[in-house]
Amino acid sequence: MRSRGLGSFAAGVLIAGVILWSFLTTDVELSRLLSAGPRIADFLGRMVPPDPTVMNEIVKGSAETLRIAILGSLGAVFLSVPLGILASETMVSPAVFRPVRTLLALIRAVPLILVAMLMVGAVGLGPLPGIIAVAIHATGMLAKFYAEAIDSVSRAPIAALESAGAGPLARLRHAIWPQMAPVVARDTIFRFELNLRESLILGIVGAGGIGFYIQTYVRSFQYDKAASVTLAVIAMVVTIEAINVALRRRFA
Amino acid sequence: MKSAIQIDDLSYTHPGSDFRALEHVSLAAPAGQSIALLGPSGAGKTTLLTLLDGRLRGWRGRASVLGASLDPDHPPARARRSDTGFVFQEFALVERSSVLRNVLNGRLGRMSPLRAVLWWPTSQDFELARSALADCGIADLAERRVDSLSGGQRQRVAIARCLAQEPRLVLADEPISNLDPARATEILTLLTGAAHARGATVMFSSHQPDLARRFADRIVGMRDGRIAFDVAVEDLSEAETAELYREAGIPPGTSLRAVS
Repeated sequence: MRSRGLGSFAAGVLIAGVILWSFLTTDVELSRLLSAGPRIADFLGRMVPPDPTVMNEIVKGSAETLRIAILGSLGAVFLSVPLGILASETMVSPAVFRPVRTLLALIRAVPLILVAMLMVGAVGLGPLPGIIAVAIHATGMLAKFYAEAIDSVSRAPIAALESAGAGPLARLRHAIWPQMAPVVARDTIFRFELNLRESLILGIVGAGGIGFYIQTYVRSFQYDKAASVTLAVIAMVVTIEAINVALRRRFA
Repeated sequence: MKSAIQIDDLSYTHPGSDFRALEHVSLAAPAGQSIALLGPSGAGKTTLLTLLDGRLRGWRGRASVLGASLDPDHPPARARRSDTGFVFQEFALVERSSVLRNVLNGRLGRMSPLRAVLWWPTSQDFELARSALADCGIADLAERRVDSLSGGQRQRVAIARCLAQEPRLVLADEPISNLDPARATEILTLLTGAAHARGATVMFSSHQPDLARRFADRIVGMRDGRIAFDVAVEDLSEAETAELYREAGIPPGTSLRAVS
């Protein structure tokens, strides 16, 4: 008991120290907030009314973001099927699934925006680096989900098909797949929603999509146009979430 | 008559434990016989059936099924696995697939590997599946999904899948343990009847001596991984059965009544 009390006291001191350190080391200048009131009001004022003349840019940018999310998700599915199989305990030996799982964890640890910046450096500006970045980044999660879906299926029907003389591929196709299909569909749609949300900002690093326009309009102080694009982004996220909720109910 | 099962001095210990599931088990059965395995839980019945089905590795001894020897280190070839049908205790069906699809799964070992993977059954596969469904009295359930069926119906699907595979040896692991007495009789009538109509040998495990006696020619009693007795059905005595189900730890001779 005594050592636990000591431990939580030490943890409290540590947390307080870290917070204090954050205030001391960065140039926070909280005083600036006080004088910024009128400027914030002015900034917000310039956003209304949103400028509707950028409709073309919004449609073009949204379509490109949607394409990046769709093709990136498709790429992630293609990568995740073999990697998911190689990361599953039931399909391969520990010598295979352990390193594959570590690789997937490393991929998950890198934020999408960082992958996108690297890809822009590698293949140049435009939607292509965005697609590749989404495909790689999403595979870290999706392949893990697929592996878990494979590992969660009931073993008995697999044994039954083995007993009937079915080979490993036929067992995968007729005993494992029917059990995991609804889980795979649900996880894939979930990941697609995340891909769409995350790819909205890809344009900021030059990897294509609607983010490019947000960046352009904010940088050139056209806040009314930036407001229109922001509203379009909110509308897209809300729509895709509503579609996803409806679909998820079907696979419940 | 050709022998269907020929096993000699089989022993098996579960990996990672010292629990001896089978100890020096020997048994020979001619083709066409119907054998019931009796014995308490943990006696080694499921282990023996799984071994005969070619799905157990690392056992010692000699075993041959339908005239071909089993390898303790490798699974048998696909065609030989098809020759031995297995009815699983918990049915082992693909819950989200249709009844017909599950029965056709029994044909996978008979199809070419390409047809099996691409799911391209021949008209003969369909015919055999349909006739197995009819034999099991569930032709009208063909399009139903398995997860919408009752326990008795599922057991019929599991038997139909086994029959569709055209087995020459049918192994059934407690095929009636989840059923009420009326269903149990129906299922055993169906299983042994269909197997005999096809000239197949049957071995099923059970906890019910009365039903075993009705549906088998021969009763093999197992206890603690060993064969306790192996008799023709007319020679089975009450005392032998009672001894088999005697509570572990009570020395023989203390008051026993049949626990069945």
